[in-house]
Amino acid sequence: MNKSERRKGILTGVCLWAFSIVFLYPIAMVVITSFKNKAEANILSVELPTEWLFENYSEVWEKGKIFRSAINSLQISVVSVILILCMAASLSFILVRRNTKGCRMISRLLTFGIIAPMAILPTVQLLKQLGIYGDKFSLIPLYAALYLPFSSMLFSSFIKGIPRELDEAAAMDGAKGIGLFARVVFPLLKPVTATTGILTFMWIWNDFQYPLYLLNSSANWTLPLSVYNFYGQFSRSWNLVCADMVLVSLPVVVVYFCAQKYVIEGMTAGAVKG
Amino acid sequence: MNRKKMYPAYMMVIPLLVFGVFFLLPSTVGFGYAFTDWSAYNTKLSFTGLSNFLDILQERTLTTAFVNTLIFAGVKTVVVTVLGFVFAMPLNKRMMKSTNLLRTVYFLPSVLSTLVVGLIFNAVFESRHGIMNGILMGTGLENLIQPWLGERWPAVFSICVAEVWRNIGYAVVITLAGLQSVNSDYIEAAKVDGASGFQLFRKITLPLIMPSVNVNILFSLIYGLKMFDLVYVMTGGGPGHDTETFGTLMMNEMASGRFSHSVAINMVFTVILVIVAILFQKYSERCEYVE
Repeated sequence: MNKSERRKGILTGVCLWAFSIVFLYPIAMVVITSFKNKAEANILSVELPTEWLFENYSEVWEKGKIFRSAINSLQISVVSVILILCMAASLSFILVRRNTKGCRMISRLLTFGIIAPMAILPTVQLLKQLGIYGDKFSLIPLYAALYLPFSSMLFSSFIKGIPRELDEAAAMDGAKGIGLFARVVFPLLKPVTATTGILTFMWIWNDFQYPLYLLNSSANWTLPLSVYNFYGQFSRSWNLVCADMVLVSLPVVVVYFCAQKYVIEGMTAGAVKG
Repeated sequence: MNRKKMYPAYMMVIPLLVFGVFFLLPSTVGFGYAFTDWSAYNTKLSFTGLSNFLDILQERTLTTAFVNTLIFAGVKTVVVTVLGFVFAMPLNKRMMKSTNLLRTVYFLPSVLSTLVVGLIFNAVFESRHGIMNGILMGTGLENLIQPWLGERWPAVFSICVAEVWRNIGYAVVITLAGLQSVNSDYIEAAKVDGASGFQLFRKITLPLIMPSVNVNILFSLIYGLKMFDLVYVMTGGGPGHDTETFGTLMMNEMASGRFSHSVAINMVFTVILVIVAILFQKYSERCEYVE
Protein backbone atom coordinates (compact mmCIF):
# COMPACT_ATOMS: atom_id res chain seq x y z
CA MET A 1 0.00 0.00 0.00
CA ASN A 2 1.51 3.33 -0.96
CA LYS A 3 1.29 6.58 0.94
CA SER A 4 -1.65 8.21 -0.82
CA GLU A 5 -3.71 5.01 -0.57
CA ARG A 6 -3.00 4.77 3.12
CA ARG A 7 -4.04 8.38 3.60
CA LYS A 8 -7.26 7.69 1.69
CA GLY A 9 -7.87 4.67 3.91
CA ILE A 10 -7.52 6.67 7.08
CA LEU A 11 -9.80 9.37 5.72
CA THR A 12 -12.60 6.94 4.81
CA GLY A 13 -12.15 5.29 8.18
CA VAL A 14 -12.64 8.59 9.92
CA CYS A 15 -15.72 9.38 7.84
CA LEU A 16 -17.30 5.97 8.43
CA TRP A 17 -16.66 6.17 12.16
CA ALA A 18 -18.05 9.69 12.26
CA PHE A 19 -21.21 8.45 10.60
CA SER A 20 -21.50 5.54 13.02
CA ILE A 21 -22.48 8.13 15.64
CA VAL A 22 -25.87 8.21 13.92
CA PHE A 23 -26.32 4.58 14.91
CA LEU A 24 -24.61 4.64 18.27
CA TYR A 25 -25.93 7.88 19.74
CA PRO A 26 -29.61 6.86 20.05
CA ILE A 27 -28.61 3.49 21.48
CA ALA A 28 -26.25 5.13 23.97
CA MET A 29 -29.02 7.53 24.93
CA VAL A 30 -31.34 4.65 25.79
CA VAL A 31 -28.73 2.83 27.85
CA ILE A 32 -27.70 5.94 29.79
CA THR A 33 -31.26 7.15 30.32
CA SER A 34 -32.15 3.77 31.79
CA PHE A 35 -29.94 4.58 34.82
CA LYS A 36 -31.27 8.08 35.47
CA ASN A 37 -33.92 9.28 37.86
CA LYS A 38 -37.25 10.34 36.45
CA ALA A 39 -36.52 14.07 36.34
CA GLU A 40 -33.13 13.69 34.65
CA ALA A 41 -34.51 11.16 32.20
CA ASN A 42 -36.92 13.77 30.89
CA ILE A 43 -34.00 15.44 29.17
CA LEU A 44 -33.26 12.89 26.49
CA SER A 45 -29.51 13.11 26.09
CA VAL A 46 -26.32 11.13 26.59
CA GLU A 47 -25.38 13.26 29.59
CA LEU A 48 -24.31 10.92 32.38
CA PRO A 49 -26.67 10.66 35.34
CA THR A 50 -25.66 12.32 38.62
CA GLU A 51 -26.50 9.08 40.34
CA TRP A 52 -26.63 5.63 38.69
CA LEU A 53 -29.96 4.07 39.61
CA PHE A 54 -29.63 0.34 39.08
CA GLU A 55 -32.91 -0.14 40.89
CA ASN A 56 -34.72 1.09 37.77
CA TYR A 57 -34.08 -2.37 36.41
CA SER A 58 -35.54 -4.21 39.37
CA GLU A 59 -38.55 -1.93 39.28
CA VAL A 60 -39.12 -2.65 35.58
CA TRP A 61 -38.45 -6.35 36.10
CA GLU A 62 -41.40 -6.48 38.50
CA LYS A 63 -43.81 -3.92 37.11
CA GLY A 64 -43.19 -4.91 33.51
CA LYS A 65 -43.68 -8.61 34.23
CA ILE A 66 -40.45 -9.22 32.35
CA PHE A 67 -39.83 -12.74 33.54
CA ARG A 68 -43.22 -14.09 32.50
CA SER A 69 -43.03 -12.40 29.10
CA ALA A 70 -39.46 -13.58 28.56
CA ILE A 71 -40.53 -17.17 29.15
CA ASN A 72 -43.38 -16.74 26.65
CA SER A 73 -41.06 -15.20 24.08
CA LEU A 74 -38.49 -17.92 24.58
CA GLN A 75 -41.01 -20.76 24.24
CA ILE A 76 -42.59 -19.31 21.13
CA SER A 77 -39.39 -18.40 19.34
CA VAL A 78 -37.41 -21.56 20.12
CA VAL A 79 -40.17 -23.96 19.12
CA SER A 80 -40.99 -21.94 15.99
CA VAL A 81 -37.35 -21.84 14.91
CA ILE A 82 -36.89 -25.59 15.32
CA LEU A 83 -40.07 -26.22 13.36
CA ILE A 84 -39.04 -23.79 10.61
CA LEU A 85 -35.58 -25.34 10.27
CA CYS A 86 -36.88 -28.90 9.97
CA MET A 87 -39.59 -27.92 7.52
CA ALA A 88 -37.55 -25.58 5.36
CA ALA A 89 -34.57 -27.96 5.13
CA SER A 90 -36.56 -31.01 4.08
CA LEU A 91 -38.87 -29.08 1.77
CA SER A 92 -36.01 -27.35 -0.06
CA PHE A 93 -34.13 -30.62 -0.33
CA ILE A 94 -36.99 -32.28 -2.18
CA LEU A 95 -37.82 -29.18 -4.26
CA VAL A 96 -34.24 -28.69 -5.42
CA ARG A 97 -33.48 -32.35 -6.10
CA ARG A 98 -36.71 -33.26 -7.84
CA ASN A 99 -36.94 -30.01 -9.77
CA THR A 100 -40.07 -31.01 -11.67
CA LYS A 101 -42.67 -28.62 -13.03
CA GLY A 102 -44.78 -29.13 -9.92
CA CYS A 103 -41.83 -28.32 -7.69
CA ARG A 104 -41.18 -25.08 -9.50
CA MET A 105 -44.87 -24.21 -9.08
CA ILE A 106 -44.57 -24.79 -5.35
CA SER A 107 -41.52 -22.53 -5.24
CA ARG A 108 -43.49 -19.80 -6.93
CA LEU A 109 -46.33 -20.27 -4.46
CA LEU A 110 -43.81 -19.85 -1.64
CA THR A 111 -42.76 -16.50 -3.12
CA PHE A 112 -46.33 -15.36 -2.56
CA GLY A 113 -45.67 -15.97 1.13
CA ILE A 114 -42.87 -13.42 1.09
CA ILE A 115 -44.86 -10.83 -0.82
CA ALA A 116 -48.37 -10.96 0.64
CA PRO A 117 -49.11 -9.10 3.86
CA MET A 118 -50.67 -10.89 6.80
CA ALA A 119 -54.43 -11.38 6.40
CA ILE A 120 -55.27 -10.40 9.95
CA LEU A 121 -58.97 -11.00 10.42
CA PRO A 122 -59.13 -14.19 8.34
CA THR A 123 -56.26 -15.50 10.46
CA VAL A 124 -58.11 -14.62 13.65
CA GLN A 125 -61.18 -16.45 12.32
CA LEU A 126 -59.07 -19.47 11.38
CA LEU A 127 -57.61 -19.66 14.88
CA LYS A 128 -61.10 -19.35 16.38
CA GLN A 129 -62.33 -22.20 14.19
CA LEU A 130 -59.41 -24.31 15.35
CA GLY A 131 -60.17 -23.32 18.93
CA ILE A 132 -56.69 -21.95 19.62
CA TYR A 133 -57.33 -18.21 19.36
CA GLY A 134 -55.61 -16.30 22.16
CA ASP A 135 -53.33 -19.21 23.00
CA LYS A 136 -49.67 -18.24 22.86
CA PHE A 137 -48.80 -21.49 21.13
CA SER A 138 -51.09 -20.57 18.24
CA LEU A 139 -48.31 -18.22 17.12
CA ILE A 140 -45.96 -21.13 16.46
CA PRO A 141 -47.59 -22.54 13.30
CA LEU A 142 -48.24 -18.98 12.12
CA TYR A 143 -44.58 -18.03 12.39
CA ALA A 144 -43.60 -21.33 10.82
CA ALA A 145 -45.82 -20.57 7.84
CA LEU A 146 -44.68 -16.95 7.68
CA TYR A 147 -40.95 -17.65 7.60
CA LEU A 148 -41.02 -20.92 5.67
CA PRO A 149 -40.67 -19.18 2.26
CA PHE A 150 -37.65 -17.06 3.17
CA SER A 151 -35.95 -19.94 4.98
CA SER A 152 -36.57 -22.26 2.04
CA MET A 153 -34.99 -19.69 -0.23
CA LEU A 154 -31.80 -19.72 1.86
CA PHE A 155 -31.75 -23.52 2.10
CA SER A 156 -32.49 -24.01 -1.61
CA SER A 157 -29.61 -21.90 -2.80
CA PHE A 158 -27.30 -23.74 -0.42
CA ILE A 159 -28.51 -27.21 -1.42
CA LYS A 160 -28.02 -26.36 -5.10
CA GLY A 161 -24.31 -26.13 -4.30
CA ILE A 162 -24.13 -29.70 -2.98
CA PRO A 163 -23.41 -32.14 -5.83
CA ARG A 164 -26.08 -34.72 -6.52
CA GLU A 165 -23.41 -37.40 -6.97
CA LEU A 166 -23.17 -37.45 -3.21
CA ASP A 167 -26.82 -38.51 -2.93
CA GLU A 168 -26.28 -41.15 -5.57
CA ALA A 169 -23.27 -42.58 -3.78
CA ALA A 170 -25.33 -42.81 -0.60
CA ALA A 171 -28.20 -44.32 -2.55
CA MET A 172 -25.87 -47.16 -3.64
CA ASP A 173 -25.62 -48.04 0.02
CA GLY A 174 -29.40 -48.11 0.21
CA ALA A 175 -30.08 -44.69 1.72
CA LYS A 176 -33.19 -42.86 0.52
CA GLY A 177 -35.80 -40.38 1.62
CA ILE A 178 -35.57 -39.22 5.21
CA GLY A 179 -32.59 -41.46 5.93
CA LEU A 180 -30.62 -40.04 3.03
CA PHE A 181 -31.56 -36.51 4.04
CA ALA A 182 -30.93 -36.85 7.75
CA ARG A 183 -27.67 -38.81 7.62
CA VAL A 184 -26.01 -37.57 4.45
CA VAL A 185 -27.31 -34.16 3.42
CA PHE A 186 -28.40 -32.44 6.61
CA PRO A 187 -24.95 -32.59 8.26
CA LEU A 188 -23.64 -30.57 5.30
CA LEU A 189 -26.24 -27.86 5.86
CA LYS A 190 -24.83 -26.66 9.17
CA PRO A 191 -23.82 -23.14 8.02
CA VAL A 192 -27.14 -22.33 6.37
CA THR A 193 -29.02 -23.88 9.29
CA ALA A 194 -27.17 -21.60 11.68
CA THR A 195 -27.87 -18.52 9.58
CA THR A 196 -31.54 -19.28 9.10
CA GLY A 197 -31.96 -20.27 12.72
CA ILE A 198 -30.44 -17.07 14.08
CA LEU A 199 -32.21 -14.75 11.65
CA THR A 200 -35.63 -16.27 12.24
CA PHE A 201 -34.99 -16.35 15.98
CA MET A 202 -34.25 -12.62 15.97
CA TRP A 203 -37.28 -11.82 13.82
CA ILE A 204 -39.69 -13.88 15.88
CA TRP A 205 -38.29 -12.66 19.20
CA ASN A 206 -38.61 -9.05 18.00
CA ASP A 207 -41.98 -9.41 16.32
CA PHE A 208 -44.67 -7.12 17.57
CA GLN A 209 -47.44 -7.44 15.00
CA TYR A 210 -48.64 -11.02 15.53
CA PRO A 211 -48.74 -10.83 19.34
CA LEU A 212 -50.52 -7.48 19.11
CA TYR A 213 -53.30 -8.94 17.01
CA LEU A 214 -53.53 -12.39 18.47
CA LEU A 215 -52.68 -12.36 22.17
CA ASN A 216 -55.17 -10.52 24.31
CA SER A 217 -54.51 -11.90 27.77
CA SER A 218 -51.51 -10.33 29.48
CA ALA A 219 -50.41 -13.74 30.78
CA ASN A 220 -49.55 -14.67 27.20
CA TRP A 221 -47.74 -11.50 26.20
CA THR A 222 -44.34 -11.70 24.59
CA LEU A 223 -41.57 -9.27 25.52
CA PRO A 224 -42.16 -6.64 22.81
CA LEU A 225 -45.86 -6.57 23.62
CA SER A 226 -45.15 -6.18 27.32
CA VAL A 227 -42.84 -3.26 26.53
CA TYR A 228 -45.50 -1.64 24.40
CA ASN A 229 -48.04 -1.85 27.18
CA PHE A 230 -45.49 -0.73 29.72
CA TYR A 231 -44.83 2.31 27.53
CA GLY A 232 -48.55 3.03 27.45
CA GLN A 233 -48.64 3.02 31.25
CA PHE A 234 -45.36 4.73 32.05
CA SER A 235 -44.80 6.99 29.04
CA ARG A 236 -43.85 9.81 31.39
CA SER A 237 -41.02 7.80 32.94
CA TRP A 238 -38.44 7.52 30.18
CA ASN A 239 -35.93 6.01 32.60
CA LEU A 240 -38.16 2.98 33.17
CA VAL A 241 -39.17 2.69 29.52
CA CYS A 242 -35.50 2.74 28.52
CA ALA A 243 -34.60 0.10 31.09
CA ASP A 244 -37.42 -2.02 29.70
CA MET A 245 -36.10 -1.53 26.16
CA VAL A 246 -32.60 -2.57 27.23
CA LEU A 247 -33.96 -5.72 28.85
CA VAL A 248 -35.88 -6.79 25.72
CA SER A 249 -33.01 -6.05 23.37
CA LEU A 250 -30.25 -7.60 25.44
CA PRO A 251 -30.93 -11.24 24.47
CA VAL A 252 -31.01 -10.57 20.71
CA VAL A 253 -27.99 -8.31 20.86
CA VAL A 254 -26.05 -10.99 22.74
CA VAL A 255 -27.14 -13.64 20.24
CA TYR A 256 -26.12 -11.31 17.43
CA PHE A 257 -22.66 -10.61 18.84
CA CYS A 258 -21.97 -14.28 19.50
CA ALA A 259 -23.21 -15.45 16.13
CA GLN A 260 -22.64 -12.51 13.83
CA LYS A 261 -20.35 -14.57 11.66
CA TYR A 262 -23.38 -16.64 10.67
CA VAL A 263 -25.75 -13.69 10.44
CA ILE A 264 -23.71 -11.50 8.15
CA GLU A 265 -21.67 -13.99 6.19
CA GLY A 266 -24.46 -16.51 5.91
CA MET A 267 -26.92 -13.95 4.70
CA THR A 268 -24.53 -12.65 2.11
CA ALA A 269 -23.73 -16.13 0.87
CA GLY A 270 -27.30 -17.34 0.61
CA ALA A 271 -29.92 -14.70 0.21
CA VAL A 272 -28.27 -12.83 -2.57
CA LYS A 273 -27.69 -15.64 -4.96
CA GLY A 274 -31.14 -17.10 -4.24
CA MET B 1 -32.53 -45.59 -8.05
CA ASN B 2 -34.97 -43.14 -9.59
CA ARG B 3 -35.57 -39.66 -8.31
CA LYS B 4 -39.06 -40.34 -7.03
CA LYS B 5 -37.84 -43.02 -4.68
CA MET B 6 -34.79 -41.09 -3.58
CA TYR B 7 -36.70 -37.90 -2.94
CA PRO B 8 -40.15 -38.97 -1.78
CA ALA B 9 -42.93 -36.41 -2.00
CA TYR B 10 -44.18 -37.21 1.50
CA MET B 11 -41.30 -35.18 2.92
CA MET B 12 -43.02 -32.08 1.60
CA VAL B 13 -46.42 -32.82 3.13
CA ILE B 14 -46.02 -31.25 6.57
CA PRO B 15 -44.31 -28.02 5.42
CA LEU B 16 -46.83 -27.49 2.65
CA LEU B 17 -49.72 -28.29 4.96
CA VAL B 18 -48.59 -25.77 7.56
CA PHE B 19 -47.95 -23.14 4.90
CA GLY B 20 -51.24 -23.86 3.17
CA VAL B 21 -53.41 -23.78 6.26
CA PHE B 22 -51.75 -20.97 8.21
CA PHE B 23 -50.74 -18.65 5.40
CA LEU B 24 -52.36 -19.40 2.05
CA LEU B 25 -55.81 -20.16 3.38
CA PRO B 26 -56.35 -16.85 5.23
CA SER B 27 -54.70 -14.90 2.39
CA THR B 28 -56.96 -16.33 -0.30
CA VAL B 29 -60.18 -18.00 0.84
CA GLY B 30 -60.23 -15.73 3.89
CA PHE B 31 -60.80 -12.74 1.67
CA GLY B 32 -64.35 -14.00 1.19
CA TYR B 33 -65.17 -11.87 4.23
CA ALA B 34 -64.54 -8.79 2.10
CA PHE B 35 -67.78 -9.51 0.26
CA THR B 36 -69.95 -9.72 3.38
CA ASP B 37 -71.41 -7.28 5.89
CA TRP B 38 -69.35 -8.70 8.77
CA SER B 39 -68.80 -6.29 11.65
CA ALA B 40 -68.44 -6.28 15.41
CA TYR B 41 -72.20 -5.81 15.66
CA ASN B 42 -73.24 -8.18 12.94
CA THR B 43 -72.09 -11.76 13.07
CA LYS B 44 -74.82 -13.19 10.85
CA LEU B 45 -73.07 -12.74 7.57
CA SER B 46 -74.79 -12.08 4.30
CA PHE B 47 -73.32 -11.51 0.87
CA THR B 48 -73.06 -7.83 -0.10
CA GLY B 49 -71.09 -8.01 -3.34
CA LEU B 50 -68.68 -5.20 -3.98
CA SER B 51 -70.26 -2.67 -1.64
CA ASN B 52 -67.35 -2.79 0.83
CA PHE B 53 -64.92 -1.93 -1.93
CA LEU B 54 -67.08 0.97 -3.09
CA ASP B 55 -67.27 2.17 0.52
CA ILE B 56 -63.53 2.13 1.14
CA LEU B 57 -62.78 3.78 -2.19
CA GLN B 58 -64.94 6.71 -1.16
CA GLU B 59 -63.17 7.16 2.15
CA ARG B 60 -60.52 9.84 2.06
CA THR B 61 -58.32 7.85 4.42
CA LEU B 62 -57.68 5.18 1.79
CA THR B 63 -56.12 7.77 -0.52
CA THR B 64 -54.04 9.13 2.37
CA ALA B 65 -52.92 5.62 3.27
CA PHE B 66 -52.08 4.86 -0.35
CA VAL B 67 -50.00 8.02 -0.73
CA ASN B 68 -48.23 7.52 2.61
CA THR B 69 -47.48 3.89 1.88
CA LEU B 70 -45.93 4.85 -1.46
CA ILE B 71 -43.87 7.62 0.15
CA PHE B 72 -42.58 5.37 2.94
CA ALA B 73 -41.72 2.53 0.58
CA GLY B 74 -40.25 4.81 -2.11
CA VAL B 75 -38.11 6.93 0.18
CA LYS B 76 -36.91 3.93 2.11
CA THR B 77 -36.01 1.96 -1.02
CA VAL B 78 -34.09 4.76 -2.67
CA VAL B 79 -32.25 6.01 0.41
CA VAL B 80 -31.43 2.57 1.78
CA THR B 81 -30.18 1.25 -1.56
CA VAL B 82 -28.01 4.30 -2.20
CA LEU B 83 -26.61 4.38 1.32
CA GLY B 84 -26.02 0.64 1.10
CA PHE B 85 -23.69 1.43 -1.76
CA VAL B 86 -22.05 4.42 -0.16
CA PHE B 87 -21.06 2.39 2.89
CA ALA B 88 -20.39 -0.96 1.27
CA MET B 89 -17.87 0.37 -1.26
CA PRO B 90 -15.26 1.58 1.26
CA LEU B 91 -15.97 -1.36 3.59
CA ASN B 92 -15.26 -3.76 0.73
CA LYS B 93 -11.83 -2.27 -0.02
CA ARG B 94 -10.63 -3.27 3.45
CA MET B 95 -8.57 -0.13 3.68
CA MET B 96 -8.90 -0.03 7.45
CA LYS B 97 -8.33 -2.43 10.28
CA SER B 98 -11.71 -1.67 11.80
CA THR B 99 -13.80 -2.83 8.82
CA ASN B 100 -15.44 -5.72 10.62
CA LEU B 101 -16.21 -3.66 13.68
CA LEU B 102 -17.81 -0.95 11.54
CA ARG B 103 -19.92 -3.53 9.76
CA THR B 104 -21.10 -4.79 13.14
CA VAL B 105 -22.01 -1.28 14.29
CA TYR B 106 -23.91 -0.46 11.11
CA PHE B 107 -25.90 -3.66 11.40
CA LEU B 108 -26.73 -3.16 15.08
CA PRO B 109 -30.02 -1.24 14.55
CA SER B 110 -31.29 -4.08 12.34
CA VAL B 111 -31.06 -6.41 15.30
CA LEU B 112 -33.42 -4.37 17.46
CA SER B 113 -37.17 -4.90 17.54
CA THR B 114 -39.12 -2.47 15.37
CA LEU B 115 -41.01 -1.62 18.52
CA VAL B 116 -37.81 -0.59 20.28
CA VAL B 117 -36.71 1.44 17.23
CA GLY B 118 -40.09 3.19 17.25
CA LEU B 119 -39.75 4.06 20.92
CA ILE B 120 -36.17 5.28 20.43
CA PHE B 121 -37.31 7.63 17.69
CA ASN B 122 -40.27 8.76 19.76
CA ALA B 123 -37.59 9.97 22.14
CA VAL B 124 -35.42 11.45 19.37
CA PHE B 125 -38.32 13.44 17.93
CA GLU B 126 -39.88 14.28 21.28
CA SER B 127 -40.96 17.90 21.06
CA ARG B 128 -39.61 19.41 24.27
CA HIS B 129 -36.40 17.54 25.09
CA GLY B 130 -35.79 15.34 22.04
CA ILE B 131 -32.40 15.15 20.33
CA MET B 132 -33.73 16.47 17.03
CA ASN B 133 -34.98 19.76 18.43
CA GLY B 134 -31.86 19.95 20.58
CA ILE B 135 -29.64 19.75 17.49
CA LEU B 136 -31.71 22.40 15.71
CA MET B 137 -31.43 24.66 18.74
CA GLY B 138 -27.67 24.17 18.91
CA THR B 139 -27.10 24.87 15.22
CA GLY B 140 -29.15 28.03 15.11
CA LEU B 141 -32.01 26.57 13.12
CA GLU B 142 -34.57 27.43 15.77
CA ASN B 143 -37.26 28.16 13.22
CA LEU B 144 -37.31 24.48 12.23
CA ILE B 145 -38.11 23.39 15.77
CA GLN B 146 -41.51 21.74 15.89
CA PRO B 147 -43.56 18.94 17.40
CA TRP B 148 -42.23 16.39 14.90
CA LEU B 149 -44.88 13.75 15.39
CA GLY B 150 -47.74 16.23 15.69
CA GLU B 151 -48.18 17.21 12.05
CA ARG B 152 -48.45 15.26 8.84
CA TRP B 153 -45.30 15.98 6.86
CA PRO B 154 -42.89 16.26 9.80
CA ALA B 155 -44.33 12.99 11.10
CA VAL B 156 -43.92 11.29 7.72
CA PHE B 157 -40.33 12.54 7.66
CA SER B 158 -39.66 11.25 11.17
CA ILE B 159 -41.02 7.82 10.37
CA CYS B 160 -38.91 7.68 7.20
CA VAL B 161 -35.79 8.52 9.21
CA ALA B 162 -36.51 5.74 11.70
CA GLU B 163 -37.22 3.20 8.96
CA VAL B 164 -34.02 4.07 7.07
CA TRP B 165 -32.00 3.93 10.30
CA ARG B 166 -33.30 0.45 10.98
CA ASN B 167 -32.61 -0.92 7.50
CA ILE B 168 -29.23 0.43 6.41
CA GLY B 169 -27.52 -2.56 8.00
CA TYR B 170 -29.32 -5.07 5.80
CA ALA B 171 -28.60 -3.02 2.68
CA VAL B 172 -24.90 -2.71 3.51
CA VAL B 173 -24.56 -6.43 4.15
CA ILE B 174 -26.33 -7.47 0.95
CA THR B 175 -24.44 -4.97 -1.22
CA LEU B 176 -21.19 -6.03 0.41
CA ALA B 177 -21.96 -9.62 -0.52
CA GLY B 178 -22.43 -8.58 -4.12
CA LEU B 179 -19.15 -6.67 -4.12
CA GLN B 180 -17.25 -9.55 -2.60
CA SER B 181 -18.44 -11.92 -5.29
CA VAL B 182 -16.99 -9.66 -8.03
CA ASN B 183 -13.94 -11.37 -9.46
CA SER B 184 -11.02 -8.97 -9.11
CA ASP B 185 -9.59 -10.19 -12.44
CA TYR B 186 -12.25 -8.20 -14.27
CA ILE B 187 -11.29 -5.05 -12.40
CA GLU B 188 -7.59 -5.62 -13.06
CA ALA B 189 -8.24 -6.27 -16.76
CA ALA B 190 -10.27 -3.07 -17.07
CA LYS B 191 -7.54 -1.13 -15.26
CA VAL B 192 -4.97 -2.42 -17.73
CA ASP B 193 -7.22 -1.21 -20.53
CA GLY B 194 -7.11 2.22 -18.94
CA ALA B 195 -10.57 2.47 -17.36
CA SER B 196 -10.98 5.34 -14.92
CA GLY B 197 -12.47 4.98 -11.43
CA PHE B 198 -15.98 5.96 -12.44
CA GLN B 199 -15.93 3.96 -15.65
CA LEU B 200 -14.77 0.99 -13.64
CA PHE B 201 -17.75 1.34 -11.36
CA ARG B 202 -20.27 2.06 -14.07
CA LYS B 203 -19.20 -0.60 -16.59
CA ILE B 204 -17.78 -3.40 -14.47
CA THR B 205 -18.79 -3.31 -10.82
CA LEU B 206 -22.38 -2.14 -11.15
CA PRO B 207 -23.52 -4.68 -13.77
CA LEU B 208 -21.85 -7.50 -11.84
CA ILE B 209 -23.56 -6.68 -8.56
CA MET B 210 -26.92 -5.83 -10.11
CA PRO B 211 -28.46 -9.08 -8.78
CA SER B 212 -27.74 -8.11 -5.17
CA VAL B 213 -28.86 -4.55 -5.77
CA ASN B 214 -32.12 -5.96 -7.09
CA VAL B 215 -32.52 -8.16 -4.02
CA ASN B 216 -32.00 -5.02 -1.95
CA ILE B 217 -34.59 -3.06 -3.87
CA LEU B 218 -37.14 -5.85 -3.83
CA PHE B 219 -36.91 -6.47 -0.09
CA SER B 220 -36.91 -2.76 0.75
CA LEU B 221 -39.91 -2.22 -1.46
CA ILE B 222 -41.96 -5.16 -0.21
CA TYR B 223 -41.24 -4.57 3.48
CA GLY B 224 -41.58 -0.81 2.99
CA LEU B 225 -45.05 -1.27 1.56
CA LYS B 226 -45.94 -3.59 4.43
CA MET B 227 -44.78 -1.08 7.05
CA PHE B 228 -46.92 -1.27 10.13
CA ASP B 229 -45.20 -1.57 13.52
CA LEU B 230 -43.11 1.56 13.27
CA VAL B 231 -46.03 3.78 12.26
CA TYR B 232 -48.25 2.16 14.86
CA VAL B 233 -45.76 2.86 17.65
CA MET B 234 -44.73 6.35 16.55
CA THR B 235 -48.03 7.95 15.52
CA GLY B 236 -50.71 5.24 15.48
CA GLY B 237 -51.69 6.59 12.05
CA GLY B 238 -52.31 10.04 13.51
CA PRO B 239 -52.51 12.97 13.89
CA GLY B 240 -56.04 12.45 12.64
CA HIS B 241 -55.43 9.91 9.90
CA ASP B 242 -52.49 11.79 8.41
CA THR B 243 -49.79 9.13 8.64
CA GLU B 244 -52.03 6.13 8.06
CA THR B 245 -50.58 3.30 5.94
CA PHE B 246 -52.39 0.25 4.63
CA GLY B 247 -51.14 -1.67 7.65
CA THR B 248 -52.40 0.77 10.27
CA LEU B 249 -55.61 1.40 8.36
CA MET B 250 -56.48 -2.30 8.55
CA MET B 251 -55.73 -2.26 12.24
CA ASN B 252 -57.79 0.87 12.91
CA GLU B 253 -60.77 -0.35 10.89
CA MET B 254 -60.59 -3.61 12.79
CA ALA B 255 -60.38 -1.82 16.14
CA SER B 256 -63.46 0.24 15.30
CA GLY B 257 -65.39 -2.92 14.49
CA ARG B 258 -65.71 -2.53 10.72
CA PHE B 259 -64.40 -6.03 10.07
CA SER B 260 -65.45 -6.46 6.45
CA HIS B 261 -63.92 -3.10 5.54
CA SER B 262 -60.68 -4.17 7.13
CA VAL B 263 -60.64 -7.39 5.12
CA ALA B 264 -61.45 -5.49 1.91
CA ILE B 265 -58.51 -3.14 2.51
CA ASN B 266 -56.36 -6.16 3.28
CA MET B 267 -57.34 -7.70 -0.05
CA VAL B 268 -56.70 -4.55 -2.07
CA PHE B 269 -53.34 -4.27 -0.33
CA THR B 270 -52.40 -7.87 -1.17
CA VAL B 271 -53.31 -7.35 -4.83
CA ILE B 272 -51.19 -4.17 -5.00
CA LEU B 273 -48.20 -5.97 -3.49
CA VAL B 274 -48.48 -8.89 -5.88
CA ILE B 275 -48.66 -6.51 -8.84
CA VAL B 276 -45.62 -4.57 -7.61
CA ALA B 277 -43.68 -7.80 -7.17
CA ILE B 278 -44.58 -9.06 -10.64
CA LEU B 279 -43.66 -5.74 -12.26
CA PHE B 280 -40.38 -5.74 -10.39
CA GLN B 281 -39.65 -9.29 -11.48
CA LYS B 282 -40.18 -8.25 -15.11
CA TYR B 283 -37.90 -5.24 -14.66
CA SER B 284 -35.09 -7.16 -12.99
CA GLU B 285 -35.20 -9.97 -15.56
CA ARG B 286 -34.79 -7.37 -18.26
CA CYS B 287 -31.88 -5.60 -16.63
CA GLU B 288 -30.09 -8.85 -15.91
CA TYR B 289 -30.57 -9.87 -19.53
CA VAL B 290 -28.92 -6.67 -20.77
CA GLU B 291 -25.69 -7.65 -19.05
